[in-house]
Amino acid sequence: MPRPKNDVLQGTLAMLVLRTLADRGAQHGYAMTQHIQSSSAELLRVEEGSLYPALHRMEQEGWIRGKWGTTDKNRQARFYTITAAGRKQLAAEQESWARLIEGVGRVLRFA
Amino acid sequence: MAWYHRLFNTIRSDRHARDLEREVSFHLRERTEELRDAGMTDADAAAEARRRFGNRTVQQERSHDAGVVTWLESALADVRYAVRSLVASPGFALVAILSLGLGIGANTAIFSLTNAVLLKSLPVRDPAHLVNVYRKFPGDKSPQGNNSFTNPLWEQIRADSSVFSHVFAYGDASFNLAPGGEVRMVDGAWVSGDFFQTLGLRAESGRLLDNADDVRGCTGAATVSDGFAVREFGSAAQAVGKVIALSGHPFTVTGVVDASFSGIEVGHHADVYAPICAEPMLEGPKVLEAHSRWYLFLFGRPKPGLSPAQVDAGLATAAPGIFAATVPEHWNQKNQAGYRNASLGAVAAPTGLSDVRDQYRSALYFLLAAVGVVLLIACANIANLLLARGAARQRELSIRMAIGAGRRRVVRQLFTESLVVAVAGAAAGVLFAHWAARLLVGFILTDGNPVALDLTPDLRVLGFTAGVAILTALLFGLIPAWRATRVDPQAAMKAGGRGVVEGDARYRAGRALVVGQVALSLGLVAVAALLLGSFRKLISQDPGFDSRGVLVATMDFSKLDPSSEGSLEFGSAPADVQAAQRRMVDALRATPGVQSAAAAFITPASGIGWNDVLTIPGYTSPNGRPPMAFFNQVSDGYFATMHSTVLAGRVFTEHDGPGSPLVAVVNEAFARQFFGTRSPLGRTYQTSLGDHLSAPVQIVGVVSTAKYASMSEAPRPTIYVPLGQGDGAGTQISFVIRGGGDPHALVPAVKRTAAATSPSITLSFVTLDDQISRSLARPRLVAMLSGFFGVLAILLAVIGLYGTMSYLVTRRRNEIGIRMALGAAGSRVLGMIVSEAGRLVVLGLLGGLLLAAATTRYIKSFLFHTTPTDPRTLAIAVLLLGVVAMGAALLPAWRAARVDPMDALREE
Repeated sequence: MPRPKNDVLQGTLAMLVLRTLADRGAQHGYAMTQHIQSSSAELLRVEEGSLYPALHRMEQEGWIRGKWGTTDKNRQARFYTITAAGRKQLAAEQESWARLIEGVGRVLRFA
Repeated sequence: MAWYHRLFNTIRSDRHARDLEREVSFHLRERTEELRDAGMTDADAAAEARRRFGNRTVQQERSHDAGVVTWLESALADVRYAVRSLVASPGFALVAILSLGLGIGANTAIFSLTNAVLLKSLPVRDPAHLVNVYRKFPGDKSPQGNNSFTNPLWEQIRADSSVFSHVFAYGDASFNLAPGGEVRMVDGAWVSGDFFQTLGLRAESGRLLDNADDVRGCTGAATVSDGFAVREFGSAAQAVGKVIALSGHPFTVTGVVDASFSGIEVGHHADVYAPICAEPMLEGPKVLEAHSRWYLFLFGRPKPGLSPAQVDAGLATAAPGIFAATVPEHWNQKNQAGYRNASLGAVAAPTGLSDVRDQYRSALYFLLAAVGVVLLIACANIANLLLARGAARQRELSIRMAIGAGRRRVVRQLFTESLVVAVAGAAAGVLFAHWAARLLVGFILTDGNPVALDLTPDLRVLGFTAGVAILTALLFGLIPAWRATRVDPQAAMKAGGRGVVEGDARYRAGRALVVGQVALSLGLVAVAALLLGSFRKLISQDPGFDSRGVLVATMDFSKLDPSSEGSLEFGSAPADVQAAQRRMVDALRATPGVQSAAAAFITPASGIGWNDVLTIPGYTSPNGRPPMAFFNQVSDGYFATMHSTVLAGRVFTEHDGPGSPLVAVVNEAFARQFFGTRSPLGRTYQTSLGDHLSAPVQIVGVVSTAKYASMSEAPRPTIYVPLGQGDGAGTQISFVIRGGGDPHALVPAVKRTAAATSPSITLSFVTLDDQISRSLARPRLVAMLSGFFGVLAILLAVIGLYGTMSYLVTRRRNEIGIRMALGAAGSRVLGMIVSEAGRLVVLGLLGGLLLAAATTRYIKSFLFHTTPTDPRTLAIAVLLLGVVAMGAALLPAWRAARVDPMDALREE
C-alpha cells in the first residue's frame, strides 16, 4: 500500500531505491549508492547512514526482499530485489513526484 | 506499523541487528577499497568511509526503530519533551494540573468512600465464600426477607449442620466498661464460638475465642481488638489474661485479634468480642431463651462443593423443624402459623453487614455521578486550554510536520503531553483525596455515632484513579491534538501564525466545549439548588415541637427486674418497673435546674417507629385497607415539655395510668385522616390483641402534628397513649427534660437523680437538637456536597467561558482594530463580543435545562417537599449561572472595546 506523503526525504530515497532495483535487479546497498550517484550525474548523493535503516524498513513494508549472497569479489553481501508491492509503490511515488515537479515548476515559471 | 510487526521485530531483533552489522561492514569495506584505489592511504580511506557513513551507532539504533524497545524509548522521549514543554508554560501547566487534581481528587475521595462502604470485602480469609443466612416469613415482600435471628433460632440452626462447615452468630453490642459510676461505653459484639475460626483470623497475641468458650453457663471471657489492647493495656501482649469489667461483670481477655481485622460490620468497629453464652451475666438469666429478641446475624461457610442453590435447598429443608422448635408462645395464632411456615436461605456476603451501607448507598452513587460531571467540566476546560495552546503552537507543529513528522506521530506527542498533565493531576488528586475522604467521613460521623471506615486506598481505588486519569487524558487530549495537527503546513507557515481575520471555523470545537460546559454546569447547579432548597425546608420547617433546650436521657431499668428477659425494648414492663419509671419522672421534675420533664417511649427523629392496625367504629376505609396509625407512649407533661400545641380536648394528667379508663391523644394528621372535619373527641378505636380486639380506647385530645421518626417524613397519623396503659415502652425508656438554658448543663444533676433512685439504672444522654441533627446527616451531606460541586461547576464553566472569550478577542484583535479604525465605537465592539458570548451561554443554558429536565427526577428520593422540576429553583439556577457567565464574558469584551486601533494594526 502506498504510504501517505509527508515523509518527503525518506520517500524520495525509497523511490530512488525502488527505481534502481526495478531497473537493475538484485543489488546490494553499496551498489545502489554507486548507481544513484552515477546515474544522477553526481547530482544526488545518498546519505549512506540512512540507507540501510531505510532498506530494512522497506523490507518490512514488503516492497523489497533481502537475501545474503556473494559479490563478484567473493564477499558476503545482502542483495535486495523489488517485490510486486514495491513496483506498485514505485508507480505511486513516481506519479506524485511528477505532480510535485510540475506544480513546483509552474509556480516557479509564473511566480 | 502494526503492533505484531513490532513484537516480531523484538523477537528477531538479534538477527536483524546482526544482518545490519554485516551489511554496514561490507559497505565500509567496499567504500574504503574504492577510496584507496583513488589514492588515499589505508587509514585515511577508512576514516573517510566512516565519516561519509555517519555515526554507526546512531544509525544502528535508528534502524532498530521498528522495535518495541525503541517504541518505549521514544515514548519516554515524548514524556521528556512533554515535561519540558509544560515547564516552558508553567501557567498552563499549573491551571491544568490543579483543576484536574481537584477533579480527580474529588472523584477519588468519593470513590474511596464508596469503596469502603459498599465494595470492600471483609478483611478475612476467603470473603467470597462467606454467606449470610436470612429468614423469610410468608408475605415478606423483600426477596431476602430479614437477616436478624433470635438466640433459640440460632441454636437450632447451629445444631443442624447439614450445609455449613462453619457457621457463627454475631450481634452488635455496646458494653459499659466502667465498674461503677459514670458509664464508659465501648463498641463490641456478642459472638458465637466459631466466629474467629469461620473468618479464619489469627491472634495477634494470646488466643481467640473458640467453641469451648461458648457453652451455656460459661464465665466471662473476651477477645479484644488490637486498638483496644493498646489503648487500655499498652500493648497486645500485655492485654492477655487481664480482666475487664463489662457492666460490672468480670471478663478475662483471652487474646487480641489480628490488627488488620476491623470487624464484620462496615462502619461499626467492635473492640470487645464476648461469647453469647456470657450474655445472661449482663442481660438476665432468661435472655438466651427470648423468642422475640431479634439481634443475631448468622454467617457461614458452605461445605466444600455445595452450590448456592444446594445451600438454599438444604436450609429450606431444615427450616420447618427449626421454626417448629422455637415458636414464640406469646404470639397470636395467625402469627404463630406464619412463623411455622417461615423459610431460610443464604446469600453471598463478602462485604459483611452494614447499617451505614444501606443508609448511604444511593447517596454515594448520586455523589459519584455529580462529582463525575464536575470532572467532565474540568476536562472541557483543559481541552479548551489545549485547543488554544494548539492554535498558538500551530507554527511549531507545522514546522515539525513540514520536516517530515507524521501526523500520527505529532498527535502522539501532543497526547503524551495530555497524559503527563493527567498523571500529574491524578497524583495531586490522590493527595487531595486522602484528605477529602476523611473530611467526608467527618460529615457522616456525628457526635456519639462513631463510624469506623477503612479508607486505606486499595488496588480498586488506585485502579479507579488511574482509569479516571487516562480517561480524562483521552477526553481532553485527543480532540485538541487531532485538531491542532489538522493544519496545512504551507498555509500555516505562510500566514506566519496570524492572519488579519482568523477563520471562525477552526475554533468551533472550543465554542462547542463552552456550550457543553455551561449545559453540564446548569444541570449540576439545578440539582444542587434543588437539594439545598430541600435541605433548607427540612431544617426550617416547624417540627411540631421545640427541640431547643431539651435533653433526652435514655434509661435502662432492666436491672430492677431480674426476672425479665433482659432489656426489653418493646412490650410491657412489669408493674414495679413501670412504677419506678413513673417515680423517675417525679424525681427529675424535682431535680434542680429542671423546668419540666416527661417520659416517652419514642423521642422524635430517633429513627424508631411503632405502628399498628386499628379498628375505628364508625369509620370505613375508602380503599378497603384497615386504618393504620403510629403510636407513642408518653407520661403526663410530655406535650408541655415538648412545647406542642394542644388543639382540642385535654392531654394526659398523672391520673391517667394503669387502672384508669383507657384514653388516647391523637395528632391533627390522625384527626383529619379518620374524622375529617368532625371532632375526634369522644370517639374510640381498638387494636388487635392476639386473635381478638383490645378494649376500646377513647380519644380525649388533639395535639399539633409533630415529626415522629424522621424529619423528612410526611405527617403521620399518630396516637399517644399514657404510660402504664397497654403495650409500649419496656424496661428501656427515654425522658425528655427541659431546663432553662443549655441542656448539657442538666447532665450531672440528672445523673445524680438517677443514681439516687437506683444505682443499677444505666443511662445515656443526647440533646434533642443533636438527635435531630444526627438524623439529618445524610441529607446534609448530600446537600452540602452537591452545593459545593455546583459552585465548583459554575467556577469551572466561568473560567472556560472567560478563557474562550479572551482567546477569541486576542485572535480578532486585528479585525477589531480595523473596525475601530473604520469608525466602530467601543460600545459596538463590546456589544459584538458580549452578544457572541451571550449566544454561547444561552445555547448552553437551553441544553442545561433539557439536561436538568431529563435527570432531576432521579434525585426525587433525596428531595423534601420539593418537586424535581420546581420552576422557581430552575429559574434561580438559570439566572445565577447566566449572570455569572455574562459577567465573565464582560472582561474580555471590555478589553476588546479598549483596543487601540493604531496599536492593533501596527503589530501587523
